Amino acid sequence: MSEVAITGTAAVLEEALEERLDALPDAVRSRALRAERVTQLALTASGGALAEAGLLAVEGEPRPDFGITLGTAFGCFLTNAAYQRRVATDGTRVASPRLFAATVSNAAAGEVGIGYRLGGPAVTLTAGAAAGLLAIGHAADAITSARARVILAGGVDATGPALARWLADGGLAVGETPVCGAAAIAVLQSTRAADGPGGGTPGKVRGYVLGYGAGFTPPGEDDGGGVLAAVSQALDHARVRPVQLARVVLEGAPSAADPSQRALRAVLGGAVPAAARPSHDHVERFAAGGPIALLAALRDATPEAPFLVLHACPSGHVAALIAMRTRPA
Amino acid sequence: MAGPCTDRGPALVCPPLVTAARSPVITGSGVVSPLGNGLPAFWEGLAAGRSAIAPIRRFQADDLDPATAAEVAGGGAGDPDRAGAFALTAAMEALASAHLRTAELDPARVAVALGTTLGGMEIFETWDRAAAAECAPPAHLERVPYFAPAARVAAAVRARGPVVTTQLACASGTQAVALAAEWVRSGRADVVLAGGSDLLCRFVVAGFNSLRATADVARPFDRDRRGLVLGEGAAVLVVEEEAHAARRGARVAARVLGTGAAGDAVHMTAPDREGGGVVRAVGAALADAAVPPSAVEFVSAHGTGTPFNDAMEARALLRLFGAYAVPVNSIKGAIGHTLGAAGAFEAVLCAEVIARGLVPPTAGLRQIDPECAGLDLVHGEARRCDVRVALSTSSGFAGANAAVVLGRA
Repeated sequence: MSEVAITGTAAVLEEALEERLDALPDAVRSRALRAERVTQLALTASGGALAEAGLLAVEGEPRPDFGITLGTAFGCFLTNAAYQRRVATDGTRVASPRLFAATVSNAAAGEVGIGYRLGGPAVTLTAGAAAGLLAIGHAADAITSARARVILAGGVDATGPALARWLADGGLAVGETPVCGAAAIAVLQSTRAADGPGGGTPGKVRGYVLGYGAGFTPPGEDDGGGVLAAVSQALDHARVRPVQLARVVLEGAPSAADPSQRALRAVLGGAVPAAARPSHDHVERFAAGGPIALLAALRDATPEAPFLVLHACPSGHVAALIAMRTRPA
Repeated sequence: MAGPCTDRGPALVCPPLVTAARSPVITGSGVVSPLGNGLPAFWEGLAAGRSAIAPIRRFQADDLDPATAAEVAGGGAGDPDRAGAFALTAAMEALASAHLRTAELDPARVAVALGTTLGGMEIFETWDRAAAAECAPPAHLERVPYFAPAARVAAAVRARGPVVTTQLACASGTQAVALAAEWVRSGRADVVLAGGSDLLCRFVVAGFNSLRATADVARPFDRDRRGLVLGEGAAVLVVEEEAHAARRGARVAARVLGTGAAGDAVHMTAPDREGGGVVRAVGAALADAAVPPSAVEFVSAHGTGTPFNDAMEARALLRLFGAYAVPVNSIKGAIGHTLGAAGAFEAVLCAEVIARGLVPPTAGLRQIDPECAGLDLVHGEARRCDVRVALSTSSGFAGANAAVVLGRA
């Protein structure tokens, strides 16, 4: 793929959400306060990223060349739980239309589109916790093929007691890792557009691949084939040789770490430093985890040195994305 | 945007992944539908103008009003993970009709793109009741998430390419076909199982009833339409790279010429009354296909049978096609609104219309609403049409819109 510029980024963690909601433009804040938490996270992170890119707008006609691609592992899970509990408790005749309308995982993308006047492609994708990095890669493809001029892309997931209970009951193996909701969004544009007046470019997406391994396999039975295929194809896609990689950032549940490390060794050999988990490795942030790792790496990386972010989910989904920090002007 | 980079910084050559043009074609289809399981039963029912809408029988519905739907019999219907079972059954039929054995393919070149709005919702309902009662959880909780049906298909066919669930509410199935076409074009996969799957359960019927969006009978574009009727099932297509299909001598049913998507950015549940999002999505799909509106010879409309949707869609299609009379139908009077599977069913329909030269009638449509009178709606009986280019449009909650353009092979 051709390179795609990242011109704005923002991440919001659940613990800081209230404060970030207060800082939203009035028109967006009034909608956000009525929305579900996953949507609030997406609205706050999207607003921050657009503002950093100098592209914030909250009124006017929908901008047809502005799109959004969100990745989420669980989307509206908490809303589903709240809606379902009320139906089960009080009966179908008092089912909440307000809650039901939010039981679609693209509700967050829809609200972001309304709030920030995005009339272009509005896509929400699910691929386990790898969906956040996938969304950024998918958006980069869409920019490359001129489907939109600007795309907000990233990952979002909210957490709460219902999700924690489902995870504990056997939904998805995260072990003893604490979980926390978050959203991380990047504004993507073509490098040509980003080089224009006012276009800051914190970084660039060089290439990405989504692969699939063996989902929900018992420990020790994942052969790492999905990781191996995704990483080798991502390198090919970005036209980057293993020796050119300055860094590998490994995101994901601990259960996926060992097969990922083995597969990385098979692809990269001794060409790069050992894969490092990001600084928030003690917290599972699901689909926001990969984009948060990407944003952190963009901040810390050596300019113009490509690095790999890898997110392997116990569901079997694997996303590998190669990016680099841009040299400061 | 292919070619050497001209950006700042050290020169790292980044040519496109694939240098030769790659075209996505459809080489197989499979369906699990309320009209019957398998493509022949689905097509025969549609062509005959039959409707599968009837009182709900499979689960308690005495407290639901309305309580009609289009239910599936067989096709994995006894599996607690109905959406996953439907998807798997349809995928296997699609592979068989394409004469493909995935075990003979490079797993990294095989992908899955499925749309769903409910996933393992019936397991979720059971789990919720068990959790509230402090009872042991049901089995297969890993099949609750929306990504589970696609993962189940991927595991069955040994896919190690991209495996993604599209989440555009009722436009999810259309976007899955679009995603498959994009992957084939960009070289990310050679064979993609693409489609959608959804199920009927109390969760969703009660929800649509609460919005007052439902009716006993679906009458798309009719003067007396009162709302939608829900359906269930799965439709899966084999979207394959053309040269890959040619090398193995596969029969090509249709080409995926173009795709498009756009958000309304207006309202979370009601469509943009002017059809702005639909116009942008279809416009993008036609531009992607490099065909003018006048080349489109059949439109499979979203046509839910709700007053707002059908009026909006009629307005959008008239904005797009003007006085050019293109045959339009909706299959939601026949199989109900199958939500995340709807667009996939309609893509299968478009491929069959192109192959057979016959447009099925819009079941349930008796008298065309004056608001929709500008459309050439096919109703009453099937119409013989030589269709070279067909368009399918879908719209959903949160202002999601998606469109695909299919063409004759």
